[in-house]
Amino acid sequence: MRSRFFVSMAAGNIKKNAKMYVPYLLACTFTTAMFYIITSLSWNKDLKKMPVGADEIQILLSLGTGIVAFFALVFLFYINSFLMKRRKKEFGLFNILGMEKRHIGRIIAWESILTAASSMVVGLFFGVLLDKLMFLILLNIFQAEDVALGFHVSWKAAAQTAILFGVLYLLLYVDARRQIHLAKPIELLRSQNQGEKEPKARWAAAFLGVACLLGGYYISVTSTNPLAAFGLFFLAVILVIVGTYLFFLAGSVAWLKLLKKKKSYYYKANHFISVSGMIYRMKQNAVGLANICILSTMVLVMLSSTLSLHFGIKEALNEKYPREMTVACDEKNMEQNKQFQVIQEILNKEKVEKKNYIGYSYLGFSAVRDKDEFQVKRDEWKMPDLRKVSNLFFITLDDYNKNNDTKETLEKDEIFIYGNQKPYREKSLHIFEDTFQIKEELNAFQGDALMASNVASSYFIVVEDQEILADLYEKQKAAYGKEASEIKNYMAFDMTGEQEEKDRVYETLKIKLEETGVGNVDFKDAAYDSFLSLYSGFLFIGIFLSILFVMAAILIIYYKQITEGYEDKERYEIMQKVGLGEREVKRAINSQILTVFFLPLIMAAVHIVFAFPIIKRLLATLYLTDTKLYMTCTVGCFAVFALIYVLIYKITARTYYSIVKR
Amino acid sequence: MTLLKVKNVKKTYTTRFGGMQVQALKGVDMEVNEGEYVAIMGESGSGKSTLLNILAALDKPTQGEVLLNGKSLTDISEKEISAFRRKHLGFVFQDFNLLDNFTLKDNIFLPLVLSGEHYEEMERKLFPLARELGIGGILEKYPYEVSGGQKQRCAVARAVITSPSLVLADEPTGALDSKSADELLTLLERVNQTGRTIIMVTHSAKAASFAKRVLFIKDGRVYHQVYKGSKTNEEMYQNISNILTVMATGGVGHEK
Repeated sequence: MRSRFFVSMAAGNIKKNAKMYVPYLLACTFTTAMFYIITSLSWNKDLKKMPVGADEIQILLSLGTGIVAFFALVFLFYINSFLMKRRKKEFGLFNILGMEKRHIGRIIAWESILTAASSMVVGLFFGVLLDKLMFLILLNIFQAEDVALGFHVSWKAAAQTAILFGVLYLLLYVDARRQIHLAKPIELLRSQNQGEKEPKARWAAAFLGVACLLGGYYISVTSTNPLAAFGLFFLAVILVIVGTYLFFLAGSVAWLKLLKKKKSYYYKANHFISVSGMIYRMKQNAVGLANICILSTMVLVMLSSTLSLHFGIKEALNEKYPREMTVACDEKNMEQNKQFQVIQEILNKEKVEKKNYIGYSYLGFSAVRDKDEFQVKRDEWKMPDLRKVSNLFFITLDDYNKNNDTKETLEKDEIFIYGNQKPYREKSLHIFEDTFQIKEELNAFQGDALMASNVASSYFIVVEDQEILADLYEKQKAAYGKEASEIKNYMAFDMTGEQEEKDRVYETLKIKLEETGVGNVDFKDAAYDSFLSLYSGFLFIGIFLSILFVMAAILIIYYKQITEGYEDKERYEIMQKVGLGEREVKRAINSQILTVFFLPLIMAAVHIVFAFPIIKRLLATLYLTDTKLYMTCTVGCFAVFALIYVLIYKITARTYYSIVKR
Repeated sequence: MTLLKVKNVKKTYTTRFGGMQVQALKGVDMEVNEGEYVAIMGESGSGKSTLLNILAALDKPTQGEVLLNGKSLTDISEKEISAFRRKHLGFVFQDFNLLDNFTLKDNIFLPLVLSGEHYEEMERKLFPLARELGIGGILEKYPYEVSGGQKQRCAVARAVITSPSLVLADEPTGALDSKSADELLTLLERVNQTGRTIIMVTHSAKAASFAKRVLFIKDGRVYHQVYKGSKTNEEMYQNISNILTVMATGGVGHEK
């Protein structure tokens, strides 16, 4: 009997607080479903049967699992805090009416059990349904159709989900008990209308926030070396996140205080109500706003970059493999002529002809640039030097003339130079004990993309003859020892003929040259598949997490509006009593909500604009150099996101009005 | 000169489901002259709050008319009503109704700001008023930082800063301790002495004894009224108490 009482009490509570509780239940259900789906996919046996890229995608998916789990923890705690704050008064009343704290605890326990059970059952149900759909989407992105489809329930994933969320609800329950236990009944009753003190303007924190933001932006805008950009990217992300929180926490209050000080501005009907309202709640609001801003930024960055990778896959491939076939062998394993012969024989056998041939031998190694000098002693490098690390590629004048159909000449101590990222702009070049004069700076080089992607800054250097190349080879061998580079013979070409013939050429070349350890063979069509699986994996995870984050942003906005509605209700009632008209109420509310609502979106837009340079460089490491495509994707994503945002605004603003309206 | 005229005002509430009708006011007639200080007394449910709400233009009578300065409150359109109340009426509430997010000064300024007055003008008005009400030192504080008595004094300042024709006070001492209550009543008396008309709703005999005239309301009708004349507060208090006792024990043929 007694436990029946508690159960019905708990169920009644949930029903009574539907406006607060239903979205929470939905959030729990949705998160459960999403977690089940990603866990189940990461263990999906059918996915393992996919022809290529199964490993990559499954690594990405299990990474995604971790992210979703962490997200669920933070997110549900955050939403639950809204609920608890609103419900403390209710618990206080129970307490005063004679219910002991342990009884309240039992009610909360039953509420948790009901929440957990319903959200888990419904969540898993939709998880299983949507799992199938997601799998199909995944296959579609992968352009793989020949995988057998089996409708199945992953018990392992279901168990994993149940355990994770079981623990989560337990933690939420313990936290709720703790809060109830610590509070005195009268405090519980009053906790909602405790006069919150007006926050002080903390100028130092505000400046620090702006400094963090500017620092993050500066890193992004000035980053030139994509390799260094990788590490710097995380630094920039952390700076921007910290900066965003500080900016919203301290910066906004400081800014509002400035507005308040301007008497001619502040004492206007509109501003008077909205500015004071915003200052008053900025402290509690700031974290929510910062969260929304960061979530929005993440969604936009993820979606735009993964989408542009997906759409730009062909260009990326061409960037990395300008020719269909690329063969590079070490000179010491096979001489240049021999290599050429081997390739030609295989081509002849398959009756395939080569087109657009380029071939040369080169010596490539990295060095640290210091003005017109390149240092090669690795142990002398310091960390900041990473940004100055350059790849040097030496080829002979003979090869250069052959490939470019030119008749250039050079003296022994003269070179041509070409920098793939920025011009060299010095008169001479020192390396080892040698000094070369720059005869001419080239503004294009045929082999540009062949030898290295645009990842690091590279210099292509044409020296007079083979002897100099051999000399450089010996010297770098002495300097680098085991890690020294070999002179490579590089050959790349397109082919005529049928696909199967090309495939056979690739297979034979691979057996002949790669599997014997002589060199590397790359075939564009084969590379396409692994590119596709990697990029599609990114896209899938990008979309998946975006959906999750958008849902989170929606809920945070919803709860903000509702709790604010309840808080503002009283204030607006008072103001109406002293003579504030209905129209003025609406205008004041609008001006306030609009500012608070669109501040995170505007901030996110600013973040995106400043993130643009560094993400462009990061995408370059994935061979995507089509800036226009990335820009289009970003603008498109932002437009769609802003549309969704406005829609949420409309819906929640209506809820807000209906609460505030008398 | 008659400032306020209430003519046969009736108010009937209909319950949401079904036709249960409750008559809160059964025909109230009263007049208030300029410069008067009138207390309206009655028990809970007597209809005094309904009457005050109608006087405050927060509610409309089912029947009858309320004239302020000869202008009928029922004729004012929904759009103008807020501006009208701001200009012509001042309010003091039992629970102060100060906004926590404004300093006391800004709370007092609120009606002026809503009317679009300049800051210098507002300052000019506040200065003498603050001295009169003894709140000059706490203007920059927030409502949650001061005592109930101080809060209510600020609420009085907010009510009179617009120089309204009529100040309506709804149980102004209801949430105050006796010392603060006495102080506030003395203050209201002084406010009245500077020429402002006050109508106060209360069920405290002590509070009513400060007024120049006391109206008693019972079951939706004006039951009786007493003029203070030359009586002292103590005499008035005794007088009111006696009437209340008679009302409570239910003699006199006004009923039925």
